Amino acid sequence: MKKNIIISLCLFLAAVEPILAGGNLLLKNGTILTVTKGTIPKGDILILDGFIRQIGENITAPAGVKVIDVSGKYIIPGIIDSHTHIALSGTNETGNTITAEVNMRDVLHAEDTSIFTAISGGVTTIHTLHGSANPIGGQNITLKLKWGKKAEEMIFAQAWPTLKFALGENVTQANRTVVGGEERRYPASRMGVVAIIRRELQRAREYIAQWDRYNEWQRLKMLNRPLLPPRKDLQLEALADLLRGKLVARCHSYRADETIEFIQLSHEFRFRVACFEHIPEAYKIAKELAAEKIGISVFMDSWAYKVEAAEGIATMPAYCAQQGVLVSINSDSNERIRRLFNDAAKAIKYGGLPEDEALKLVTLNPAIQLGVDKWVGSLEVGKHGDIAVFNEHPLSAYTRCDLTIIEGDIYFDREAYLKERQEAQKANPKPKLSGGGQ
Amino acid sequence: MKLKKLWFLALLLLITPRLMASGPTYAIVNCRVVSPPLPVIEKGVIIIRDGLIEAVGEAGKIQIPEDAEVIEAQGMIAYPGFIDAHTNLFLETTAAETPQQPPTARPPTGAVAEERSPAQPEFFVLSQIKPRQTIINSFLKVGVTTVLVAPERGIFSGQSVLLNLNGEKPEPMVVKNPVALHLQFVTARGGYPNSPMGTVAFIRQSFLDAAYYSNHLTTWKKSPRFLPRPVYNPVYEALAPFVNERKPVIITCNNQEDIKRAVRITQEFKLHAILSGANEAWRVAEELKAAKLPLLVALNFRPPATSLYSAQGEAVRRKAEQEVYPANPATLQKMGINFALTSLGLSDAATFQKNLQAAVKAGLPAEAALKALTITPAQILGVDSCLGTIEPGKIANVVLSSGDIFDAKSQVEKVWVDGKLLKIERAPEAKGPATISVAGAWKVTVSGPMGEMEMTMELEQEGNMVRGSISSSYGRWEIRDAAISGQELSFTLSVTIMGQSMDVAFSGRVEKDLIEGTLQVPGGAADFKATRIPREL
Amino acid sequence: MNLRKIIFCLLLSVACLFINYVKAEEVLAIIKVKIVPVVGEDIPEGTILIHGHKIEAVGSAVAVPPEAKIIDGRGLTAYPGMIDAWSTLGLYEIGSLQATIDYRETGRLNPQVLTTEALRPDSMHIPITRSNGITAALVVPSGGLIPGRSGLIQLWGGTPPEMVIKSPVAMHVELPAISRGGFRRQAGPREEGSRQLEEVKELLHQARFYEKRKIAASKNKILALPDFDEKLEALLPVTHGEMPLIISVHSAADIRAAIKFLQEEKLKGIFYGVSQGWMVAKEIAQADIPVIFGSLYDLPPSWEDGYDALYRNPGVLRQAGAKIAFSSSSASLAKELPYHAAKAAAFGLDKREALKAVTIYPAEILGVADLMGSLEKGKLANIVLAEGDILELRTVIRHVFIQGQEIELSSAYTEFLEKYRKRNEKKP
Repeated sequence: MKKNIIISLCLFLAAVEPILAGGNLLLKNGTILTVTKGTIPKGDILILDGFIRQIGENITAPAGVKVIDVSGKYIIPGIIDSHTHIALSGTNETGNTITAEVNMRDVLHAEDTSIFTAISGGVTTIHTLHGSANPIGGQNITLKLKWGKKAEEMIFAQAWPTLKFALGENVTQANRTVVGGEERRYPASRMGVVAIIRRELQRAREYIAQWDRYNEWQRLKMLNRPLLPPRKDLQLEALADLLRGKLVARCHSYRADETIEFIQLSHEFRFRVACFEHIPEAYKIAKELAAEKIGISVFMDSWAYKVEAAEGIATMPAYCAQQGVLVSINSDSNERIRRLFNDAAKAIKYGGLPEDEALKLVTLNPAIQLGVDKWVGSLEVGKHGDIAVFNEHPLSAYTRCDLTIIEGDIYFDREAYLKERQEAQKANPKPKLSGGGQ
Repeated sequence: MKLKKLWFLALLLLITPRLMASGPTYAIVNCRVVSPPLPVIEKGVIIIRDGLIEAVGEAGKIQIPEDAEVIEAQGMIAYPGFIDAHTNLFLETTAAETPQQPPTARPPTGAVAEERSPAQPEFFVLSQIKPRQTIINSFLKVGVTTVLVAPERGIFSGQSVLLNLNGEKPEPMVVKNPVALHLQFVTARGGYPNSPMGTVAFIRQSFLDAAYYSNHLTTWKKSPRFLPRPVYNPVYEALAPFVNERKPVIITCNNQEDIKRAVRITQEFKLHAILSGANEAWRVAEELKAAKLPLLVALNFRPPATSLYSAQGEAVRRKAEQEVYPANPATLQKMGINFALTSLGLSDAATFQKNLQAAVKAGLPAEAALKALTITPAQILGVDSCLGTIEPGKIANVVLSSGDIFDAKSQVEKVWVDGKLLKIERAPEAKGPATISVAGAWKVTVSGPMGEMEMTMELEQEGNMVRGSISSSYGRWEIRDAAISGQELSFTLSVTIMGQSMDVAFSGRVEKDLIEGTLQVPGGAADFKATRIPREL
Repeated sequence: MNLRKIIFCLLLSVACLFINYVKAEEVLAIIKVKIVPVVGEDIPEGTILIHGHKIEAVGSAVAVPPEAKIIDGRGLTAYPGMIDAWSTLGLYEIGSLQATIDYRETGRLNPQVLTTEALRPDSMHIPITRSNGITAALVVPSGGLIPGRSGLIQLWGGTPPEMVIKSPVAMHVELPAISRGGFRRQAGPREEGSRQLEEVKELLHQARFYEKRKIAASKNKILALPDFDEKLEALLPVTHGEMPLIISVHSAADIRAAIKFLQEEKLKGIFYGVSQGWMVAKEIAQADIPVIFGSLYDLPPSWEDGYDALYRNPGVLRQAGAKIAFSSSSASLAKELPYHAAKAAAFGLDKREALKAVTIYPAEILGVADLMGSLEKGKLANIVLAEGDILELRTVIRHVFIQGQEIELSSAYTEFLEKYRKRNEKKP
């Protein structure tokens, strides 16, 4: 009897999902590209309390649920940009070379108009990061782009907390002209970049050891002399968290060789690398990346702007995906962010990826890389109602995002936007907080 | 028995205030006395002696002392002198400005944060104060008798002082020193931290280190054997009481995210915090109410740069400044949040008054506004035992207004600060109505002893009053005390060029698209000529 | 013996001539292909006959000569090679290496420089671009008020002369772009385009006067020749009306000022950029000034313009009657040209017009409509065979012909991949 009660209690607890303060919506008659479970040529999606409850044909809406007819349109999972710097009040802390103590969560900027730009392109989740000025940057954060809401309401708490690393020309400041007499910042070569990261991780190891020693002394109570704890250092705490497995690394790298060096470091210090960012030369080491199970988050075809980007090729994402690497396409730009679906389509032309695999580059794959694939990244019952609706096939050059929905609430509605603009053109401009729908 | 009487007399002598030759005694009679939360006295009498309020009550019930100068105040209203609880007045910032660090200088390998800190918590702003009569006068004119002067540079910028605007020398002006530690979310140019997230990390690490240092010091003092002593650090010495003893910290918040950051830091380190600025406070009113932190709300209605209003173009920003932000105090008051009103960020006292009236118009009840300028700031700053109301024993800061002080038509007739009746200088305005508009953008050429300079000037005009600024390659300077009468324009300018600061007075004549006149500069006069820049599409 | 030798040599040389002749006059026939000539109706299945450099015939019933080399076009669609109306191809390799960038001269006034005199035919960006069906591009200078002159090249050739189709094409004038807050993060000083135009007016005036003095001096030996001024010399074709001005202009106010300027000076002009063109579309159309769009991969100048301002701009302008052309405004992303057009089609521009705006319209605007821009008899055989709509992102291009020569579709993309494919897929 007791056992039964315990079992039913466990089952009950397991069934109770985290409560989302989400919306209710029924989308009808659209072509649904689920990404993981095929395509439904004419289907409906029911979202209740922010979760997808039903996907299929001829679904009837429960009372009070708003119904939107999307006949002729295409429904895909909300797009995920796993590398951007929007929605923040700062990008780089360049006052120091190692800045692991800074946390982008402290500088969220909910009124950044770039958020609106992103949702107008179907993006619903972003991973927004510290910049690449430092070998070790700061702690990053994943957000849902709930335009009009407060910053705290945007935080996607389930995402893995990440720490930004960077290698290459941005860190060595190779493209910066040195004013006469000024000394370059260390590290100014790729040798120094590896050395400084190793030094910092070593310091973190010793910091952990210090605390372990102190805790041990405390425990043993061998106190015949006063005992002071070690100084709490926010920078070393962050690095220690990386070594303890509480943070995962996301490393900006361009060349294949520096990537391999970083992989060696991750083995040496036993920390996890979730993703390499940009890495245009990934195709050169596809087999290593696949073996290490480290994902890549890349541009489709932006290249040749720096020397380390001179051997980037548009066929790389498709090729690496075919070699078993987890590939996502990012924007790292407040302009490209609204064309991620266009970039995904190019993987079909440059490399021959099948359609669903191309769509995954901007939906499921970044979700997996961020640790949120349980909740977003594809259209499946039980996942969040994060959806983008396009008027043509999303991989067509002629397409346009018409609706962006996050957890069942509409955050971008092109029709409403156009109507508002028409009315605003007649009246005087009046200050309002929304750019398109609040 | 005799001994007891002697003791009693001695005690009496001790506790009775010493009757020095300390200025005249005043009896303000027949005025309305408004000093919330006390009940209004319709026809009252206020007796001021020795810088303090000796008595206040209904006319007829209070005996007028023989030695008192009687001030007939029939038809006028007496208020407690306003307390402007956060200003950056009187600071010799420009002259004392440290030479600009070369912008490309970088700290060496993995520099520890504190080596380059923009933290001066041990800095007492009183040492930098240089009171200026024109400014004092302009504040007295709008009813402000007490100001908190806060340091303005750096993240931990220093400790503030509360001054009564009673004269020219700083020392007799001091009411309380220090008042609080000031914290701002700014960055250190050319050093660490130079980003907002760096600033937050820096603040947190500084508080952690101050607590650690103080703990180390206390432990060592208690039992120094076998324990190395902490390396003396004036910054941590100064910071420690704010973490350990919960001394007050005033955190300047420019936008809603700053407010949230301030609340988080306050909660992490259990600070006794007061949030200042906060002109967007209404947008995080729920959080503020839950955090129970007192506010010093700036009457600066300009939407912060991070606000969406600022991103939507000049027209929208201006509309928000006129229609949305003035309602901030009213909204806070409806939510039951405790706040004082300040002039932080405003260029002059006249704007403070104008914005105060706008806030009342936007829905802030007059009594709430009055409280927010008198008893509430006194309480928040910990001086309510001697300031904030017209009560016997408190400091005699009294403002006599010709009518309701929030009415634009009213004028401050007389002001007492520390019991001294101060003279209010009125600008030579209203000699005649302005007959010409100077509003707009102007291209200025100044030719004088230092050569020729080109600048641009932007002016706004309201009746006789003119406001604006002049920009040049050396910086942007606010125009003060500007007035136009007929076609005669006059103003003063506080100018800083290459570390030198000076006050410059202008007087001249305005034609339709031309202003010509003279600028009085140290060393002589300069010709000032301005031509209007036509407005484009 | 001697005679035999002579006759043998003669025959040999004749044979060589013959071979050369045949080679130069090689005949190609693309058969069973869907044809989108751009001018005229689409042909569901037809033949394109190429004779040497030119298109000999296009139609559904074209006779194919027996000596023709046959290219099977089944499953493919033939388009005219696309024309990029604004790029830096050949003058840009790697953005951070100044030594590889040659489209920006120093100083404010450089009418004397010409882009096609600095081309790098080996640029790695060219094969990538032409592999995506773009066969010609206008190479433009940048920087300052008058950056220089542009020239039109074909994307094939070993030396600059082999690449140049028409040069110079136009004189360039750059008015400042709008930089305000809102979408763009930086807010810069607001400069008035009309002030710059006054400066240009003054320069043209000086050029005319310079010429007048030259002519007067050549007639009358007593008069002194003016000092040689390369800049004014370079401006003379503009004052004669022989060379159009391409004016980079963005704000509505500046566009109006530029229209007025062109009308007052009686000059032929083309506008580039026109980010706020949609505000003054009618005026641009009525002034009969063609428009070349900048990259649509950009944000609108201000929030008030609307997030889709640059996207709907082409549709609005075309609707008002303006002649339009798209550009990549790039070298490394010049291959994106068709997708800018498609993006505009997604936001209101008719799809057919979008295609024309990367083919026949730029040809007309740049004055080479007799040579390219459509699949018509007599034009150069710049032909693209694609597996579908060339404005579509997913379409694979199978063949590219420039002046009748089939181009190999290899590029840095394919070469790098091949080099490392072996490494990744080598069996241990």
